[in-house]
Amino acid sequence: MDHRGDPPPTELSRLLDDDPAELYESAPCGYVSTLPDGRVVKVNRTFCEWTGRDAGDLFGTRFQDLLSTGGRVFYETHLAPLLRMQGAVREVALDVVRGDGSLLPCLVNAVEVRDDTGAPVLLRTTVFEATSRRRYERALLAAQRAAAESEARSRTVQQVVSELAAATSAREVAGVAVSRAREAVGASGAGLWLAAERRATTRPGPSVPPIELVASDGIPADLLEAMAAAAAGGAELVRGGGAHTVPLGAGMRAVWPELARALADAGQEALVVVAVNADSRHLGALVLLLGAVGDSELIDLTEPGHRGSLSRADTELLETVGRQAGQALERVRLYEETAQQAARSAFLLDAARLMASAVGVAETAELLAELAVPRLADLCVIDLAGEQGLTRPAARHGDPARQAVVAELQERHLPNRGTPHPSVRAMVEGRTVWVRQVTDRFLAEVTSDERHLELARSLQLASLVCVPLVAEGRPLGVLTLAADRWRRPFTAADVEVAEQLALQVSQVVDKAQRFEREEHTSHTLQRNLLPPVPPEVPGLAVAVRYVAASLGADVGGDFYDVVPLPGAQVALAVGDVVGHDITAAAVMGQLRSVYRSLLVDRPPPSAVIDRLQAGWSLLGLQRMATALFVSLDPATGQLRIASAGHLPPLLVSRGHAELLDVRPSRMLGAPPAPAPAAEWAGVLPPGATLVLYTDGLVESRDADLDVGLEALLAAAAGAGTADPDELCDRLLADLAGGVRADDVALLAITRLP
Amino acid sequence: MLFAHGFGCDQSMWRFVAPEFEADHRVVLFDHVGFGQSDLAAYDPQRYGSLRGYAADVVELCRELELTDVVFVGHSVSAMIGVLAVQQAPELFGALVMVGPSPRYVDDGDYTGGFSRADIAGLIENLDSNHLGWSEAMAPVIMGNPGRPELAAELTNSFCRTDPDIARRFARITFLSDNRADLADVHVPTLVLQCSDDVIAPETVGRYVHEHVPGSVFTQLSATGHCPNLSAPEETTAAIRAFLGR
Repeated sequence: MDHRGDPPPTELSRLLDDDPAELYESAPCGYVSTLPDGRVVKVNRTFCEWTGRDAGDLFGTRFQDLLSTGGRVFYETHLAPLLRMQGAVREVALDVVRGDGSLLPCLVNAVEVRDDTGAPVLLRTTVFEATSRRRYERALLAAQRAAAESEARSRTVQQVVSELAAATSAREVAGVAVSRAREAVGASGAGLWLAAERRATTRPGPSVPPIELVASDGIPADLLEAMAAAAAGGAELVRGGGAHTVPLGAGMRAVWPELARALADAGQEALVVVAVNADSRHLGALVLLLGAVGDSELIDLTEPGHRGSLSRADTELLETVGRQAGQALERVRLYEETAQQAARSAFLLDAARLMASAVGVAETAELLAELAVPRLADLCVIDLAGEQGLTRPAARHGDPARQAVVAELQERHLPNRGTPHPSVRAMVEGRTVWVRQVTDRFLAEVTSDERHLELARSLQLASLVCVPLVAEGRPLGVLTLAADRWRRPFTAADVEVAEQLALQVSQVVDKAQRFEREEHTSHTLQRNLLPPVPPEVPGLAVAVRYVAASLGADVGGDFYDVVPLPGAQVALAVGDVVGHDITAAAVMGQLRSVYRSLLVDRPPPSAVIDRLQAGWSLLGLQRMATALFVSLDPATGQLRIASAGHLPPLLVSRGHAELLDVRPSRMLGAPPAPAPAAEWAGVLPPGATLVLYTDGLVESRDADLDVGLEALLAAAAGAGTADPDELCDRLLADLAGGVRADDVALLAITRLP
Repeated sequence: MLFAHGFGCDQSMWRFVAPEFEADHRVVLFDHVGFGQSDLAAYDPQRYGSLRGYAADVVELCRELELTDVVFVGHSVSAMIGVLAVQQAPELFGALVMVGPSPRYVDDGDYTGGFSRADIAGLIENLDSNHLGWSEAMAPVIMGNPGRPELAAELTNSFCRTDPDIARRFARITFLSDNRADLADVHVPTLVLQCSDDVIAPETVGRYVHEHVPGSVFTQLSATGHCPNLSAPEETTAAIRAFLGR
């Protein structure tokens, strides 16, 4: 089919009349006809010229065998199946291998010629050279890939930044840096080491600070060890900043032979040391391994021996990760420090609350130790200086399993005076002893025998602080806090908390010790002043009770007295000195002695009051007092009663109870008043009981005195007994049960029928 | 019988073989996720980052369809997916037919897979060149109308069309996996179908598989190339029948 204008130009005509065979042979594209299995049966000259191959050689060769490896696979997996399935393919990119081995980039179209049954007979393929087009496409692809990689890197940076922002501990920060850095550059492993916290006690020695592995991924344990052992050289690299690739080569073998061997054994080819810095301070290093990936399911496309290098872009990415991690670590440290400070403040507040409510030295110590463990320390011990040397009222371990060890130490191995034991030193020197690192040698020095040493070792303590407890320059004892090797070692801030705590404890212990001492003295005094057993008096049954207040350790100035006088008379007294302390007890004792001396003259009760009032200022008694004085004739039941501001006595007889109308005069030691002491006279009938008492029996903080007296009358009337002991018990049970705010002195006398 | 397509195209690779078994088997065909008419949205790079993810799909599919005593026929890389599926759920499978299998394509010491790392890199690059024609604009046509396969079929080279990213990932896990150690775990009757002149899975590799799958049967086909299911369906069918009839 053609179209010719006229007159036909000779040359064009000749060309258009050309032999179709010539047209085939010199067409501007390659023609290749093959059998269905790919064997070439016909090929044109253009194809031969382009590929530099001889047609004779091509016959019988499979077309796919003329392709590059990638092309061959593509032919088998895509092109041939497509031809079978849809009869034609278009625009497939393939590289044909020229006779000289170079590649001819092509675009290929092909059709499958089928017979009547649909079976394939022939494949016709046209081949177009596409060198520049493919070059352009490759450039495009390369640009696309570079853009994608760059985007992936910025995505990594964004991801690292956002994940680091969410991290709240050094461990989390390191975890993010390690896993993201490893993933981003396809490293076979990564680890992050940080310089351990600098401690004031670190002796000047090698210039390399101790390092600590905070996170690692994909590095076997033995290799981690070899890497840590080579940290000295690593530190040098970190000081320079940035990221440094150290290939496994002669250089590394010379400097770190051990590490080089370990790397070679693990199929690794290089280390990348990335500085982790914050504001030019060196915090540590992120170290990546390049080489065989142990935990990947896929085969590494890079040949062994070619894995030990990173692109400039990847190196920069790692430097960025190192910087970001450094800043995050700095932030996290501040955050942790703040959180710890808050926890310490909260602890001190709790301790203050607790100590405000504690009663007694032992209880204070026990509660405090319970609070301190495990919030502040793993072990809390309080030693107190006593008259018989040190005592240990509290020793508590956070791990219940180790409490037995602590208990044995408490029972059998208290520190001895004169030993270099830190708690002894703290007390003797009056200053805090901070043992930053508990070594075995230290334990051997401070323990007294094998067993002691064994126990001390078993606690696996790492650091301890002993703070003296001091009040007004007087050493009270020592507070010891210890951290075992699973806890972060104590910092200066921890020591400060321990000192503040010790200050609080000192105040509480001091107060409690004074209090206990005073209480002890007062009670001893009071016990010595009061006759524990009333004397036997013919014709009378006598019962006495003294019940201390249930709140606190107060001691009262209450007293009672029963004295048979020469002749038939019995003198009875009950009194109450104002106040609840050692002074009150002392005044009571003095008052009772003076009263007894007055009895020599057998004065009537009103005269006793008058004489006491008259001599009060001379006696130098510092407190006022109330009292009832009674004389009783057991034979006749004759009663004479005088009151110095005291509550009226109670008469109980045959289920009837009444308060005797004794008119009270002024309190002993009160300023003079016009009314002189009056005296009540009457008879105590046989079988009746006279009850004298102090206000603790009828007064309470929340009820009126009248209510208390009514209750007393009701209780006495309902007691249904003539036995003074039983009556006392009933009255105390009914009236003074539960919480008593004040001491109670009770004296009951029954005239035997 | 469950037919799984290999690296390259989709389930239509079985168009001349699968129907031959419909008379006496329940025949199930499927496209691996990322290929053919599968839902591209279901492609999870994590799950499909290893052949095990595809094997887990096969197991899930069998359980979903309540298939038992399954004859798994896997072409090319799907032969290895079959090995892993049998490993994951041996109770589901009655027999395994491996068409042109290779447990490792990259040479490794004494083992000859037939490819160097550079070959695989070139192959992946070749795939990239051939996917330039993949148009993002076409993807919604294919993905958005799973019920109208004719839309996809209208596209050139439709049977072997894949998202270039997925194609590259699949090529990586196909050609960079090493499943040699998994072969010993296959304890179902197994047929190794070996083509002649197969550049992708040479005969030495097929023999290796045969030697390492306990009790397997090795059948050499006269069909050439890598796709006997298309180039020689009768021979392929007959070989499978002969194996199943044993």
